[in-house]
Amino acid sequence: MALKERPKPFLLPDYCKGCGRCLDACAKDCITLSDQINPMTGLVPVELDLTDCNACGMCMDACPEPYGLRPAHEGVIEDFELEDPAKLFGVKPSEAPEPTDIPNETLPLPRTEPLVIKGTYASAVGAILAGCRHVYGYPITPSTEGAELMAKFLPKLDGTFIQAVSEVAAVNMMYGTAGAGLPTMTFTSSPGFSLMLEGVSYMIGAELPGVFVDVMRGGPGLGNIAPEQSDIKLACHGLGHGNTQAITLAPSTSQEMLDLTILAFELSFKYRNPVILLGDGYLGQMTGKVQLPETMIKPGIPKWAVYGDAMHRKNLISSIFLTESDLEAHNHHLNAKYEAMKVEARAESFLCDDAEVVLIACNTPARTAKGAVQDLRNQGIKAGLFRPITLWPFPVEELKAAIHGAERIVVVEASAGQLEDEVRLALSKAGVRQFPELENVRRMGGVLPQQSEIMTRVLGRKEVLA
Amino acid sequence: MSKTSVIYDKFERHSHGEGLKGHATHYCPGCGHGLAHKFLAEAIDALGIQDRTVAVSPVGCSVFLYYYFDVGNTQAAHGRAPVVALGHKFANPESVVISYQGDGDLASIGLAETVATAQLGAPITVIFINNAIYGMTGGQMAPTTLMGQSSSTSPSGRNEYNGQPMKMAELIAGLDGPVYVERVALFDAKQRIKAKKAIQKAIKLQVEGRGYSFIEVLAECPTHLKMTPEETEKWVKECMEPVYPLGVKKDLTVEPWFHRNAPCFKGEKILALTGASTEHPERFCKGFPTGLDLNDVSLKLAGSGGDGAQTAAMLIARAAISEGFDATHIPSYGPESRGGTSYADVHVAETEVLNPGSPDPQILLAFNAPSLAKFGPTVRKGGYVIYDSSVVTEAPVLDPSIKVFPVPFTGIATDLGKAVVKNIVALGALQAATNIFPKDTFLGAIRVALKDKCALIPLNEEAFNWGIKSVEALDQ
Repeated sequence: MALKERPKPFLLPDYCKGCGRCLDACAKDCITLSDQINPMTGLVPVELDLTDCNACGMCMDACPEPYGLRPAHEGVIEDFELEDPAKLFGVKPSEAPEPTDIPNETLPLPRTEPLVIKGTYASAVGAILAGCRHVYGYPITPSTEGAELMAKFLPKLDGTFIQAVSEVAAVNMMYGTAGAGLPTMTFTSSPGFSLMLEGVSYMIGAELPGVFVDVMRGGPGLGNIAPEQSDIKLACHGLGHGNTQAITLAPSTSQEMLDLTILAFELSFKYRNPVILLGDGYLGQMTGKVQLPETMIKPGIPKWAVYGDAMHRKNLISSIFLTESDLEAHNHHLNAKYEAMKVEARAESFLCDDAEVVLIACNTPARTAKGAVQDLRNQGIKAGLFRPITLWPFPVEELKAAIHGAERIVVVEASAGQLEDEVRLALSKAGVRQFPELENVRRMGGVLPQQSEIMTRVLGRKEVLA
Repeated sequence: MSKTSVIYDKFERHSHGEGLKGHATHYCPGCGHGLAHKFLAEAIDALGIQDRTVAVSPVGCSVFLYYYFDVGNTQAAHGRAPVVALGHKFANPESVVISYQGDGDLASIGLAETVATAQLGAPITVIFINNAIYGMTGGQMAPTTLMGQSSSTSPSGRNEYNGQPMKMAELIAGLDGPVYVERVALFDAKQRIKAKKAIQKAIKLQVEGRGYSFIEVLAECPTHLKMTPEETEKWVKECMEPVYPLGVKKDLTVEPWFHRNAPCFKGEKILALTGASTEHPERFCKGFPTGLDLNDVSLKLAGSGGDGAQTAAMLIARAAISEGFDATHIPSYGPESRGGTSYADVHVAETEVLNPGSPDPQILLAFNAPSLAKFGPTVRKGGYVIYDSSVVTEAPVLDPSIKVFPVPFTGIATDLGKAVVKNIVALGALQAATNIFPKDTFLGAIRVALKDKCALIPLNEEAFNWGIKSVEALDQ
């Protein structure tokens, strides 16, 4: 290349911060610092005297600003207008195409005999049928088998299972894959879920889908590996910092571990928000009968994704809104979304229509309570069970219907009252002031409420002993 | 060289892109980020990968990298950029993923992610901006701050209580995962040319699928080093370079390894993996077991880890479900991987298992004395206790309504030459004692469970039959 073909530099003083990196770079001493403060920037730009300039280009290479020292052909210095840079450069539309949706495909599956598998396996199979091929995790009892099954299956499906260096890494790998627009999930348990909350907050802020299967165990701290419902508050009210909510599903059978995992993916993409599947230690490890659905999903790529292709080049995944008004607007947008999620409230009412005693429970304790309801009915007591399937949003309309006419309400749970607080909050927000005093059966530390304890609570000790 | 096509024409994301902000970066005068951005943009341009690139920006001054780069952009949490990059790379192996990070991000809060990702070796590119100080938070000590260097959190200079500076390029080069590691600088024209080439090479290696690449850039932070840009360049050269020597730390020529097929969505393959069958199993039950509970039978199996209680429990559940009933199995064991206690609660229900726990079982299968002592008294009146009389020499006194079956599980299994089949002996005893299901239901479940180890089927069938015979012998 002949030197003469090289352009000399030009500079708009407004775009120069006066760092002086170009001064050293110029062998001909063409560049000096001005002694005038630029009124637009408050900085002192450099001045060019191109009399001796041989267009070596070193000054342009040294300039850290993309619109700083540039080849002369990129602009005409006489056109410079102080007030409006757009007039100088014009607004060049991005060449990247407008992102569009590549929709999911629903594929048929033959009708099969029920599987006999444990809850975490059921959830893993559900995730695979929901189209998830990217799972990141860190081993933690009692959720580990889910991750182990993914480690076994996914390589055979040309998917990815990565055992991350920590839960923090796992959730952020999910953030990346979710940002690329694909379904992703993890299996964890209470102490691990605590560690993931930073990432959950970011995913909610950046509006990313993802499914968290949290097989709850005893806490606080390391606690133990036995079932407890220790994360209800965390899931419903404590998903990291900021204005965060996520649909929280509470299965109570192996079948629901599968069905609600599939639903979790669907809702997660529908609302571009993480969804939490709260199981408990028994549900994770309990084996049961699981019927597979008759369809499965092959995921597309949503238009908002940063997939790493031309179609999605324009996109940005981010949770940062530095300007206060922007963040407020974003939080209003999120709140509107949370409000819209309320239609997803789901519950099961078992024999509540004429019930005088309504038990409220979720997860495994709901099954124990269901056993108790059956026993009580056998003894002629009009008992019923209300089981919230979504803990957030709380199915308060269904609850109101279930407790209508009830004389007693007994909340059965494996925690110090986390579910009861949800019930109280939901009723309070719904303006329900008149309801029977809440009674409870609570166990903790990995001990689940027993059917006999529920019977004792409902019937009174004497009658049970007799 | 100036603006490339990868740099946006107008920084619309930059505080609404008005006025100067539409065309000037937010970096301080003399900051190294501008140059590093330019070299990165030029590399993307030169390699023709603008449409494939995903840039991951960190927390730190360069969090706003997405103001400037007309590529797919993701902003990560503090320290987590490399794993976010992995998430993108695994989602689309064709994408070119670049994690751009500062020293607090990469060498402090995200060290675990940094090292683990580098060691994993998947082809992503990490651009590491080392300016020896925290920029965005206002000039605190970084892991890379030099000994004696003062900062707002090392006001009298970094000393031994703060430890030595982290040499990240050397640390990363010491790992087996990365293929290319180089430290470059920006303080003079020669170094800038080297920096530009290194960044381009690192990304090219990713494009070729060869592996993880890492470029450490010694950069200037005039604001927090409290020097003029010119002095900062000099400081980086004179003070930083001796601690952080420039040059290639690792450069391996390896074959491309990162090839992934598109994920599979074939129904038959998924069903084969899960073991789901479209064939109805043969049924042997005429109805739900009579003589036990009306619609829900509760069992407990208890022993030491290794006794096979969980396997036996699973076989009962499988047998029940193959007969069209509902069943559950809850395992319970101590934290030991082997040994310790091992219990199983099993329910078999005609239509739906309500409560899957078995605190007061109707049937107890006990494999050792402590289990029998612990759970024997919980068995319901009129229930069944079947225990291993080979290891339990003295049975506790139980309610007289309970039917007790001492069967030498271990003795029979040992005589058969395989002590591990004692749980199958126990199942045979369970069948004969309770008639919960017909014999063929159990044998069917055993055959299905051993379908991949067919050679073991005759032995297990024999063990099962011996369990039945032992109970029949007790009756006589």
